[in-house]
Amino acid sequence: MSVTLESLATCFQGILPAQLFTCSFDGIPNAAYLSHVEYVDPTHVALSFQFFNKSRRNISENPSALVQVTDPDTGQGWQLRLRYVRSETSGPLFDRMALRIEAIASYCGLKGIFKLRAADVYEVLAIEKALEEAGFEGPAALNPVFTTRALQELSVRVNCADSLEKLLDSILRGLDESFGFSHSAILAPTEEEGVLVTIATRGYPESGVGAEVRFGEGIAGVVAEARKPIRVSGLIRGMLYAYAMHRDAEQAAAGVRRRRIPMPGLPNPESQLGVPLIVRGELIGVLYLESEAPYRFHEEDKASIELLGSYLAIALQNMQLQERSTDAAAEVPTPAPVRRPGVKPARNGAAARARRDVVYYAGDECILLDGEYLIRSLPAKILWRLLMARESTGRNEFTNRELRLDKSLNLPEWKDNLESRLILLRRRLDEKCPDIRLVPRARGRFALELGCDVALSLRP
Amino acid sequence: MIDKGLAVFLQEGVGIHIGTRNGSLEPNGARAVAATVEDDGSHLVVYVTNLAAPRVLPDLEANGQAAVSFGRPVDERACQVKGVFRGVRAASDEERAIVQAQWDGYRASLEQIGIPRIATATWPDWPAVAIRLEVTAVFNQTPGPNAGEPLR
Repeated sequence: MSVTLESLATCFQGILPAQLFTCSFDGIPNAAYLSHVEYVDPTHVALSFQFFNKSRRNISENPSALVQVTDPDTGQGWQLRLRYVRSETSGPLFDRMALRIEAIASYCGLKGIFKLRAADVYEVLAIEKALEEAGFEGPAALNPVFTTRALQELSVRVNCADSLEKLLDSILRGLDESFGFSHSAILAPTEEEGVLVTIATRGYPESGVGAEVRFGEGIAGVVAEARKPIRVSGLIRGMLYAYAMHRDAEQAAAGVRRRRIPMPGLPNPESQLGVPLIVRGELIGVLYLESEAPYRFHEEDKASIELLGSYLAIALQNMQLQERSTDAAAEVPTPAPVRRPGVKPARNGAAARARRDVVYYAGDECILLDGEYLIRSLPAKILWRLLMARESTGRNEFTNRELRLDKSLNLPEWKDNLESRLILLRRRLDEKCPDIRLVPRARGRFALELGCDVALSLRP
Repeated sequence: MIDKGLAVFLQEGVGIHIGTRNGSLEPNGARAVAATVEDDGSHLVVYVTNLAAPRVLPDLEANGQAAVSFGRPVDERACQVKGVFRGVRAASDEERAIVQAQWDGYRASLEQIGIPRIATATWPDWPAVAIRLEVTAVFNQTPGPNAGEPLR
């Protein structure tokens, strides 16, 4: 075999549909499109078995198969002469293929519709050029993304950040400016089991901070559940495949996407990457990148992506620990007089301040602002506590430490993610109600500033 | 065998592959560049470049069995036509316009799913042979549980 299977890795991204040729025992050939060819090792590939179709029946009768794949970088077509070896219904190979299918299905709101029955493993007997798909001569026109230089630049930015908020922003800015990923998000686990919340985004018209994703839902949710990076290229093709399989997708999608804050996203992403941020087995968050380029994440990037995920996870955890330890020294501020209406000039010199109705639904742990959903769960409880304290005591400065000590917030003793919840709350307020602001004063200390009158109501 | 509606789909410029098999029941196959359906729908002509034809013609001439898949990249609509080999000839200059129109249509649809024309610019579409098949069956191949069902 003069061409190695490893060198064809880019053909297996699914950008261009692969073709599978088989033949029945009684000599009738079959030609069918193939959703996915997976590289297994230097002499084997795996084909996804999702349905009992004619190709599958033929293989059970006659193990010879031929697959035609195309390199999306060079346009070169290749024919792989195969012999069926075995079917795997569990294990790393099966999991990897199932994960990819699941991620696309989930993204399309079709989770559960797809099911990988088996990863069918084939020995590759020969590889030949498909002359009718002649490729470019010379090296592929790859644009390396995960270069050492880009990683170094990101590292410098990360090292310069002196707070969790700046760190989050510097990561996403660095991925944009050094790597070219202009659409990205970082999600963190919430106090609710199996739920991620978006704490930082970049590149979207609506920030989507506060958007929640359940484990197993969408690319980020699947990454969190599997704790493995997922690269999905040729996403449009995968999605088309998904929709072709289930035309009445809208209804199912509507059910899945019934979120209170929509997750931001490109309307037609071509490639997506989800990276779990894990330190010593603990999921710190998920980094999510997407691109309008049809083919962005190369096989060679895999190791760099995993390294990047580990590095960012350590950086985020270190910053959280550092901020937490600093908080321990911060003292609870003494009550200060509440600013009265009119202290802060209203816009355009108008005398009247706006009035905002803040309603806290204790049962749902959810805050509605002027009748519209603002935030829920721990950030909602924190905001309610701050607003109530301000109203009853006149205080407008608070510390992270006092929040940690407040039993009513029910923060866990360890790894409470308070800083990321405060960032989430601050950004959500910036977006939805700039009149209510959480302004950092010093490390572990912040002020609640109101540019409006606030009417507080507690509902069950 | 192929009704008018299906014929329109098969000839609109979609991805086409022809599959054959040898005497040892080993499959062979090649990409085709165009196809036309004869008026009564009983025969299909598949255009395969001279470069690719040697991979399938020996099988067709030896045992006659063929399978032709058609797939539209933009929505994954797909079907498969089974047929028996009835002859091969060089595609004529008059047919070249048909081949090029379908080939351009296919490349345009690839563009819609993010494959730029430059990626397929080196794929030849001419000269080609015209492989005539008698249609024996047509099957749905749009992905999903109904793939493989006969199409009427």
